[in-house]
Amino acid sequence: MGNAGPAALSIKGLRKVYRDGLTAVSDLDLELADGAFFGLLGPNGAGKTTLIGSVCNIVRPTAGQLSVFGHDYRTRAARRLIGLAEQEINVDRFLSIRQLLVYHAGYHGIGRKTAVRRADELLQRFRLDHKADGRAYELSGGMQRRLVLARALIHQPRLLILDEPTAGVDVELRSEIWRLVKGLNATGTTILLTTHYLQEAETLCDEIALILAGRIVDRGSAASLRDRYEARDISEVYDRVIAAEAAS
Amino acid sequence: MTSIEARAIRPHDESFTPERSPFVWLVEREILRFLNIWRYAVLGPVLSAVLFVVIFGSALGRHVDPIAGVTYGQFIVGGLLAQAILSVGFFNGTTSLYEARHDKYIHDVFASPLRWWEINAALVTGGMVRGIIVGAGFMAIAAPLAQIGGVVRPFVFAFGTLGVLVVASQIGVIAGSLAKSLDQVYSMESIIVLPLGVLGGVFYSIQQLAPPWGVATALNPVFWLVQVERIGLLGHGDVSAASALIAVWVLALALSIWSAVIFGSGRLKA
Repeated sequence: MGNAGPAALSIKGLRKVYRDGLTAVSDLDLELADGAFFGLLGPNGAGKTTLIGSVCNIVRPTAGQLSVFGHDYRTRAARRLIGLAEQEINVDRFLSIRQLLVYHAGYHGIGRKTAVRRADELLQRFRLDHKADGRAYELSGGMQRRLVLARALIHQPRLLILDEPTAGVDVELRSEIWRLVKGLNATGTTILLTTHYLQEAETLCDEIALILAGRIVDRGSAASLRDRYEARDISEVYDRVIAAEAAS
Repeated sequence: MTSIEARAIRPHDESFTPERSPFVWLVEREILRFLNIWRYAVLGPVLSAVLFVVIFGSALGRHVDPIAGVTYGQFIVGGLLAQAILSVGFFNGTTSLYEARHDKYIHDVFASPLRWWEINAALVTGGMVRGIIVGAGFMAIAAPLAQIGGVVRPFVFAFGTLGVLVVASQIGVIAGSLAKSLDQVYSMESIIVLPLGVLGGVFYSIQQLAPPWGVATALNPVFWLVQVERIGLLGHGDVSAASALIAVWVLALALSIWSAVIFGSGRLKA
């Protein structure tokens, strides 16, 4: 992928201390090249969701500089470039499934005709067209996951952030999601992914970062991490990093 | 590969030029939200307010002496209008924003190109539109019932009602941003908003009260909302039109500043 332009995501000195005093992210630096498929791995509470929330303007960072394709992350130019599928299913209960997509497109400044056309296209692609007039809470868990993913894609983001996109879905849907995400990456969309499926992260991502207690403890390609830790796979790398950090 | 994956990648150096304003989309969503629940959001408040006119105005009002030259039914209409707008404005803001925070779909809005003041203004506009519909519905039934022929002071009525709509909507949005549970939302309504409404001079004139109670009523912000509607409709109230308008708009401005500070400071984010 071309690296001539600005980084897809640049984070310098990100720090987040919550109101209760918890430091979720501590002086974190991270850069993602345009077109990268980047995996962020770490245990629960490591700071992954806080990091993603900060990039997406959901969490207010205590300190740090964040830019998206060279734009300050708070600007409209930056926000229109980001698509987010959160780990939690967070959908507007007052809208129908089609309306959810149409209004999300609208919040990104898309006109009604285009919004409706794209919504119908995505509903068909994610096999939700027969449920278009229903409510999201009537859907099964897997269908809700597909809906959240469709919503993240409707404004055609250049940086797609997926926080545990396959949590709680069956094997078939997991493969389908990975196929779709790979296809998007192949056509130039930068992907930032968190997942507990380490083997899949190893296969999909061209770079992986290990995050623990709000800090990136190591990063590199799957092969370089395996070599560095003399491990057979990323699961073993992960276990060793966690054990080493716990011991230190 | 489908058209979803095969689309052209979006340029990263374009400025944001919306085809349709995100603010307009959010306002539309706010209106659609309460229209989807119109029985509760619109019909219920209109009927409740009309019932007060029927019972207190038409039935019991026959046994009450005219107040400042108008029948009791005519006297209470302005206050009931203010109270109806206040109630729907409060519930619109609280339910819309509290639910969005609770279910976290406000993240979808924060992550979008919508600016903080657009989010705030869209929520307030939604409450105001609901207040206008409920207020118009109430007046369409209550005015003939109470035999109110027209608006005596149209400027005071229009400008005052606009202020009441802003106050009501902003109170709802502020409460929705502060509430930590559904219990808090409903208790704010039953412990603060409703008693202030009842004690705000909807059913009585301040002239009928002993001085300490008159002063206490005048300290109640709802009293000024009631006054501005009553003066607009009937031409007179317990205070002058100018003081009522100033009080309502100072309140509207203060609440708007408070609300802007909440949104602008990012307090609603984690």
